[in-house]
Amino acid sequence: MKRKSRNNGFVERSLSGVLSFLKNSLYAEEYASRRGFMQSLDQRIKTLSFILFIVAILLTKDILIVLALYLLCLFLAYISKIDLGFFLKRTWVFIPLFSLFIAFPALFSNFTPGEELFSFKAAGLALVITRPGVLSVLLFVLRVAAMVSFSVLLSITTRHFDLLKVLRIFGIPQAFVMIMGICYRYIYLFIGIIENTYFAIKSRVGTYMHYKKGQQVVGWNIAFLWVRSCRLNEEVYKAMLSRGYSGEPMVLDDFKVRWKDWLWLAFTGVTVICIIRFFR
Amino acid sequence: MYNPVFSLKNVWFSYLGRFPALSGVDIDIKSGQKVSIIGANGSGKSTLLHLLDGLIFADSGEVNFFGMKLGEESFNDNEFSIDFRRKVGFVFQNPDVQLFCPTVKEDIVFGPLQLGLPKNQIQSRLEKLVFTLGIRDLLERSPNQLSIGEKRKVALASTLIIGPDILILDEPTAGLDPLTTRHIIDLLIDENISGKTIITSTHDLHIVGEVSDIVYVFGADKKIARFGDADDILNDTHLLAANNLVHIHSHRHKDKIHIHPHAHLDHHTEEHQNEKR
Repeated sequence: MKRKSRNNGFVERSLSGVLSFLKNSLYAEEYASRRGFMQSLDQRIKTLSFILFIVAILLTKDILIVLALYLLCLFLAYISKIDLGFFLKRTWVFIPLFSLFIAFPALFSNFTPGEELFSFKAAGLALVITRPGVLSVLLFVLRVAAMVSFSVLLSITTRHFDLLKVLRIFGIPQAFVMIMGICYRYIYLFIGIIENTYFAIKSRVGTYMHYKKGQQVVGWNIAFLWVRSCRLNEEVYKAMLSRGYSGEPMVLDDFKVRWKDWLWLAFTGVTVICIIRFFR
Repeated sequence: MYNPVFSLKNVWFSYLGRFPALSGVDIDIKSGQKVSIIGANGSGKSTLLHLLDGLIFADSGEVNFFGMKLGEESFNDNEFSIDFRRKVGFVFQNPDVQLFCPTVKEDIVFGPLQLGLPKNQIQSRLEKLVFTLGIRDLLERSPNQLSIGEKRKVALASTLIIGPDILILDEPTAGLDPLTTRHIIDLLIDENISGKTIITSTHDLHIVGEVSDIVYVFGADKKIARFGDADDILNDTHLLAANNLVHIHSHRHKDKIHIHPHAHLDHHTEEHQNEKR
């Protein structure tokens, strides 16, 4: 009996887990709508400046410079009215910790020879941690953390559809950007449909469902959503035709660059050039 | 020679060549008229509106727009296509279909941008519409975050901003609260007074009297069961009952049970008040 309920819980947990992940990642635009420093910048300038910072992090080998850039990122998060606890949790969980796990062997003299800092024995093996090993791991992890932090800061201070529009500055065709926008729009709709379907099933079968039946229900839902999405695709295309779409989308470009944006870009440009020139 | 806006002669249409949706339909719609298409679910109302908007094309018969035959080949002519889309605006039944852009503002300006309207004109029309419909606060929001009433208003704005002479609406008040319904009906009446032709499909008989000079009743056989003056049609309860537009309603007042046809019309409440007296 216990095993059955565990399996049933698996289907339920998977469904609600996927839905809450999608919802959190898609609906989390609360920070983007706050009136902070990063939110006030033109999206194109902001994206460009963050790319420049990431390039500087990649090119410099000075650990203090990477640390300084990381601290700058935290400061930017602070003046953009981002909760630092939330920001640190979002940036440190998983990717930097995972990179630490990958870089861990580089601590030892077998991979990074050099001045010995600390030695110990484990499972009959003499292990030596070296100074260059520690520095290289520290630089690697800090680099990953700084780059992830800049990327996360960009994504949480910019509304997702603005990020999509920014793709245009990299020469991505308008049609592609528009399709991405439409996909983004309809993911919400389908999340709602999945959730309502799940509640409808739950209201009829109660909380217990045999895991095999659960798998069947998930299968039906996938098929049902496929049919719905095909139908929706046809109808949306008709709605586009009806308003004059003829294959070449025209969109509203309402980005505005002000003196503050140019000042910020100048600061970023000078900082990055100095880093590359003096600390590469 | 006088040409009606739309003239349909013996129009047949079926989905996948197997599922009939219109079976020999004849309609003439004059400029500045208010026309309602009423009928039960699946009677072919939406199909007819899609035909009028040039989104699908008849299997046989003729659909004419100001005397010009409306076919797939007519829309290959870019000039005609742009002219037609500027003149004919369509509000879809499901606003989620019509609002496909990431923000409300982008959705509203989508049509005029595609049709090459100057940006300053788009901006001034947008300002006017957001004021009329009271949707200024919604402009930067995603359509997902809107209520059904707000979605319908935005869908209407996205069509009205094109400035069409002919406005086609597929069940514009479905699922709306009475106040929003009133707001939309008032807007449609204003648009008609300003000279626009209004074609509405609905089974909400409350609104038919106000948005119709002529009413076409579609039957289950996908044909026009009858057409005529709005008052004549709405007073013919036998016709409405035969086409699933009214139902037999029974209820109790004190110890007495009343049974009568129920058309969800305003006079229904008046009848009850008279009964009480």
